[in-house]
Amino acid sequence: MAVSQSLERMPATRGTSPQRASALRRLARRRELLLVILTLAVFLVTVAVNSGFGQGGYIAFMLADAMPLAILAVGQTIVCLVRGIDLSVAGTLGMVAVATGFLAQDYGSSVWLMLPLALGIGIGLGFVNGLFVVFARIPPIIVTLGTLIVYQGIQELICGSQTVQTLPPLYAKLGNGDFLPDIPYMLIPGVVVTSVVALLLWRTAWGRSLYAVGSSAEAAFRAGIRVNWVLISAYVVCGMLAGLGGLAFLVHYDSADSQSGLSTSINLSSIAAVLIGGTTLTGGKGGVVGSFIAALFLEVTTQAVIVLGVPQVWDQAAVGVLLLAAILVNRYQASGYSLRQALAGSRRRAPIEHGRAQ
Amino acid sequence: MTAAPASSPSYQGRASGNEDWAVTPARLEARSISKSFGGAFALKAVSVTFEPGEIHTLCGANGAGKSTLLKVMAGIHAPDSGELILNGDHLRGLTPRIAQKHGVYLVPQEPTLMGPLSALENLFVGIVPRGRLPFSVDWKAMERSAGRFFEQVGLDIDPRLPASELSIAQQQLLECARALAHSCNVIFFDEPTSPLTAHEADVLFGLMRQLRERDFTLAFISHRLDEVLAVSDRITVLRDATVVAGFDAGTATRAKLVEAMVGHAIADRQRRRRAAPDTETVLEVTGLSAPGRFSEIDFAVRKGEVLGLAGLVGSGRTEIAESIFGLRSATGRVVLGGKPFRHRSPAASIRKGLIYLPEDRGHNGVFANVELARNITAAVVPKLQRDGPLLRPAAEYEMAGHAAERTRVVAPSLHVPIKSLSGGNQQRAMFSRWLLAQPTVAIFDEPTRGVDVSAKEDIYQIIEAISDGGIAIVMISSELEELVFVCDRVIAIYEGRIVAEVAGEDITLEKLGTLAVGETAE
Repeated sequence: MAVSQSLERMPATRGTSPQRASALRRLARRRELLLVILTLAVFLVTVAVNSGFGQGGYIAFMLADAMPLAILAVGQTIVCLVRGIDLSVAGTLGMVAVATGFLAQDYGSSVWLMLPLALGIGIGLGFVNGLFVVFARIPPIIVTLGTLIVYQGIQELICGSQTVQTLPPLYAKLGNGDFLPDIPYMLIPGVVVTSVVALLLWRTAWGRSLYAVGSSAEAAFRAGIRVNWVLISAYVVCGMLAGLGGLAFLVHYDSADSQSGLSTSINLSSIAAVLIGGTTLTGGKGGVVGSFIAALFLEVTTQAVIVLGVPQVWDQAAVGVLLLAAILVNRYQASGYSLRQALAGSRRRAPIEHGRAQ
Repeated sequence: MTAAPASSPSYQGRASGNEDWAVTPARLEARSISKSFGGAFALKAVSVTFEPGEIHTLCGANGAGKSTLLKVMAGIHAPDSGELILNGDHLRGLTPRIAQKHGVYLVPQEPTLMGPLSALENLFVGIVPRGRLPFSVDWKAMERSAGRFFEQVGLDIDPRLPASELSIAQQQLLECARALAHSCNVIFFDEPTSPLTAHEADVLFGLMRQLRERDFTLAFISHRLDEVLAVSDRITVLRDATVVAGFDAGTATRAKLVEAMVGHAIADRQRRRRAAPDTETVLEVTGLSAPGRFSEIDFAVRKGEVLGLAGLVGSGRTEIAESIFGLRSATGRVVLGGKPFRHRSPAASIRKGLIYLPEDRGHNGVFANVELARNITAAVVPKLQRDGPLLRPAAEYEMAGHAAERTRVVAPSLHVPIKSLSGGNQQRAMFSRWLLAQPTVAIFDEPTRGVDVSAKEDIYQIIEAISDGGIAIVMISSELEELVFVCDRVIAIYEGRIVAEVAGEDITLEKLGTLAVGETAE
């Protein structure tokens, strides 16, 4: 192999050198598998109590209902991988929903025309976030809290006192219709986005640099990676997906107003989905498939809570409990401690020089 | 010496009586202490006793375990095994707070004061005297007693000044005052003098001698042998995580210390014997200067040559390397492979065949959470095989596996996060990362820091093999013996300037030892 010429000069190996582990063994340890099992378990238990939960129509509804969150969570994952966070996704979502919504309501604009517009607005808003994070060197949580408020202000400005409530029929069809029996149209953008981003993360130089920058920006810079460019691109892609999420939100709910995005607490849910999906806020670890499945898991769980007759006000509490449980599991997996130690909040101190990354 | 101490109801301690008196003598014994980090021993069954009224110095190369021993006794690291005995009592489950309650205080290498808090608050943090109301602070008592502690350590500052506005020397004295305020009678100094000027160091030594007269138990770490010999009552030498020698004041000489620090473990490794390469120059640096860090650095390296940069930590070695690699700005000329190299950046350097293995592997080298294979290929991602825009994982893993094998990385698989490997294996992986980049010039900064003996040997062999293969190497090291092993030529840097150059068989430990501390040949 050409690239390793200089290595040929080196002394031969001795002892065991690292090999590729079997694909099956790696799959078994993945968070995604655990989440699929958990989701199915919640689903089956709920079906056992109330068989209506297992009907095709309800499944299709839940799949469609989870997609705005799933798309947002995929974007949020990318930002979390570079040790950032984007609190402005709800603002972007809301702004795109009302902007495209009013165009559709007032001019009957085609949804296909709205798609590039939604992505474009998202890219622009994400770019603003990225610029502030990279060049003003302001912590992402502050930048995006600020832009969240600004984006929501613009959303209210667009709305004035009006709401979007009458859309061309195609919108509702895409938002709630099925293209195959019990398989909603909404699933298409969610699955396409997740697979494309997963492929980008796994098999492109860009994906590789996201993990490197998130793990150690300084080490990445020293390895020749253009760190600023990578950071900005993460916020841009996140913004773009939030824009797509906004359009998905509009067609699914068939309406939008100045509170869209804010009232559904989709902002924090997107971060919850990222964490439950196995991506850490400390950067460099995780993936989008976990976030996608986590969004479905959250949907199934919150719907199950309703179906099981628990008052709907407990929805948010359920999400919170799941989030805390996921973080305990993260801790357990990251540390290699036993679960009992993780629960006990192990007092073992990490050596200072070695433990700084955690 | 100072005004009469103010009485404060909740703040009473050993030092709060008449401080001209001696403190309660404390005899602190570390018995068979072991501690390992990520599989590599930092301390292996180390036993040392610290007696009151003595300045007890720990000597040894970087990574010998000196700091770790002090940190274990101060409650910062928990030992894996062994006992700590203070005046006959066993100390268990130490945390820094409990250690301080027992009277043990560590003045760390870099002061760890809380910058925005005032000197006064820093002095009493953790033992703030309570006022009469619940949760209140008795500021008056603090102000009354603070002056006394500042005076004892010779610190003349406004107690309301934020700690961040103090000089490093003042911060260190404030750390000492804090030890006194916490009524500690065992004070450890971990390399306190490395950031100090000679005069500031003398002030600190004066204070240490005063404390010794008052029967404090003092431990001290320093790499400057002249000051070690000047202030110590007792010297213990550590090497490779174990105690190898002990001296009383008077019996120690510079030669004996160096011999003990370098030891016999390396006696079986000989200096590489080969003729100095007479090839073309591949890296030439002329007049490289950065104000306040280094100035007028000139050197050249030939194809296949190993050039050592010797000097103390802080002498400017790392800054020079970082400027050449494009991490810092500097004036002067760098010529790489016959062409002037301007507008330097890491990416440009890697493209042109210049690589830099950083000194701080943890922060500047590894991607801790990322799997081993991707850590190895990180610097060559643009060159990896692809199908269209997509990388080919199979080819990448094959390349990473091959590289890991050549640098003798031992790991359960290529998929484990690199942080799960030992320091030695992480460093071997860093070598495979940088060698995959096909360098013509490689700068290795402290290539054996924090690695075990077998990894060290592997790294020396790698350096020998690739230099035979034609890669020009610039090697920075504080471990002088490794410069002796592998270098064809060594330049000594002292306070940002090149002070001497030695080549071939003139490269000896004694010679480098004197050059590194700025004493040119007598």
